[in-house]
Amino acid sequence: MDETVAEYIRRTVLKIPRDEIKTMLQKWGFLSEAQLQNINFHQIKENISQEVVQLCEENCADIKQAAVLDIIYNHIYQNKRMWSVYQMNKKGEETEIFDLTDFKKKIKRQLRTALKNVTINFREYEDNAIWIRVAWGTPYTKPNQYKTSYAVYHSQTPYVFISASVFRSNLPLLCQALVVATSYQDIREMELRGHSLSSLKDIVFRRYSQNFQTHCPRPLQERNVAPENVDLRIIRENKTEKEKIERVNWEVFGHGPQPKLEFAQYKLETTFRSDPKMHILDKKEPFRCMVKFSSPNLLESLKSLAPAGMADAPLSPLLTCIPHKARNYFKIRDKKDLLPGGFTSP
Amino acid sequence: GMFAHLEMLEKQAHEAAMKEEAAEQQEKKLSRLKSRVQELRLQRDQLREKVEQQEQPGKEGAASGPAHPSARAVLEWKIKSLKSMLQLFYLTGISGKLTKQGVCFCISTAYEGTYLDFYYLDLLTKPAVRIHRHSIPTFIPLEQISKRFLQTDIRRFLAVLSDHLNAYVGRRHQAEQLQEHFSDQIVGTMQRNSLCNLLLFNYKVLIDKQPFQLSARLLYGDLCSSLPTQVTISSTQDSPTSLAETAAAHSDLLRRVALHKAFPSLLSTQ
Repeated sequence: MDETVAEYIRRTVLKIPRDEIKTMLQKWGFLSEAQLQNINFHQIKENISQEVVQLCEENCADIKQAAVLDIIYNHIYQNKRMWSVYQMNKKGEETEIFDLTDFKKKIKRQLRTALKNVTINFREYEDNAIWIRVAWGTPYTKPNQYKTSYAVYHSQTPYVFISASVFRSNLPLLCQALVVATSYQDIREMELRGHSLSSLKDIVFRRYSQNFQTHCPRPLQERNVAPENVDLRIIRENKTEKEKIERVNWEVFGHGPQPKLEFAQYKLETTFRSDPKMHILDKKEPFRCMVKFSSPNLLESLKSLAPAGMADAPLSPLLTCIPHKARNYFKIRDKKDLLPGGFTSP
Repeated sequence: GMFAHLEMLEKQAHEAAMKEEAAEQQEKKLSRLKSRVQELRLQRDQLREKVEQQEQPGKEGAASGPAHPSARAVLEWKIKSLKSMLQLFYLTGISGKLTKQGVCFCISTAYEGTYLDFYYLDLLTKPAVRIHRHSIPTFIPLEQISKRFLQTDIRRFLAVLSDHLNAYVGRRHQAEQLQEHFSDQIVGTMQRNSLCNLLLFNYKVLIDKQPFQLSARLLYGDLCSSLPTQVTISSTQDSPTSLAETAAAHSDLLRRVALHKAFPSLLSTQ
């Protein structure tokens, strides 16, 4: 077995938390149950990884199997990577008959004609997600397995989720291969980025909680009212107001959990507005600044702002339009006709 | 004497005059009160009349039948018929509600008696009909369908969209049922795509008591249909001629009968 492959497997196993190693190796399926039984998973990780490498030697693992283990690791710990969303579009109206084998062949062919030294691996998952792992080399060096790009594609959709590596120069190559393999015409990066891949999918696939008005609401939509403080000595003076705020909030955000985004960034290119007498920044140039909101779960925290009394309901549409517009990077400019507080976004 | 007598007479006259005056006052008072009584009696009679007038239509209605139903009864009937109309639409799969800016439709899907997913479509009606928000999956060709029908014939738009969605959930349901109930007969994993309009799987059969593996490729060319348009059954191994016949029979069956229903027959055609 190649030295580099052995080292790669060893390092991949070291990344896995000790309790998860056995399950992940079972998912991998490269080592037999008998072999797995022989490994002591209670020792320190250094030793576990050495034993795994030895068994892989016995089974003559090559880079292809090692790459599969890497895909499995990255699929389970997908939230460790930063994902960008790309959108493709096409002009035609033909029904799409997506053939997986054809797709894989085309990707490989496109990438290999452009760059000889690449490792390409695929893995399909139950939710129709196709994971593509690409390790990049140069015309003169072998692929660097530690600098990989991942692309996740759901068939017959115009969206691709890409987690690029350090070699961003190879990104156009990957994008071009995807466009050709899916029979689309072009691809562009959307202004939507985050760590939670499933939340990004929820946003573009419209699976997130939206509030639709219907006559016969689903019985699942039970409004969870927090248990009222039954102490009769306490009177809530602003009960109606609180209820109004909650209702407005529900109308905007819906009832279910919000997709998970870590930040929203607004680049302002608006002119500074101040009291004319104070003569601050008299020149009518745009005052450039950037406002960035960060949170472990930005949309949930925005949802709880009004009920917590920290903001007025309804919230600014600049904040609430994030899932609907499928973007968390905005550029705000003045409206041309000088109306206050206007904005246009490209 | 004389004066005492005169005094007495004067006194008597004075008293008489006082009495008369008092009597006069009394009479005046009495006549005043009497007229007041008249007034009140008149008012009472008027109010009685009013009350009787309000009660009378009810009495009339009971007498003359449903020709003059009360306002309340009419309202109740209207609400009831509206509710049953909404229930009817809900059962057909497409229901809608007017919103401030337009209409919100809910398309519910079902396949052979099983209710499956709900999808929503929020439309704006001014200045032109267009889609505001929706929860339709991205692989359903919504843009194509709306380009063709949304502006001209909204009923057709909804019908076509509903057909696409129902067919999609039907195909997905069949594939899921197959994987759930016949996982033993399927070799390896079944390959599908998002629209579930291309299925590829291998399955085991016994022909003349010999086990063989067949490879099935189901292509659903019509996105509004939950039956395949093209079925190809092939074998990877060297196969006897009887296998070709079996393959043809399977291919024919799968084009006519839903996948998960046809499968038991596939396994027992020999």
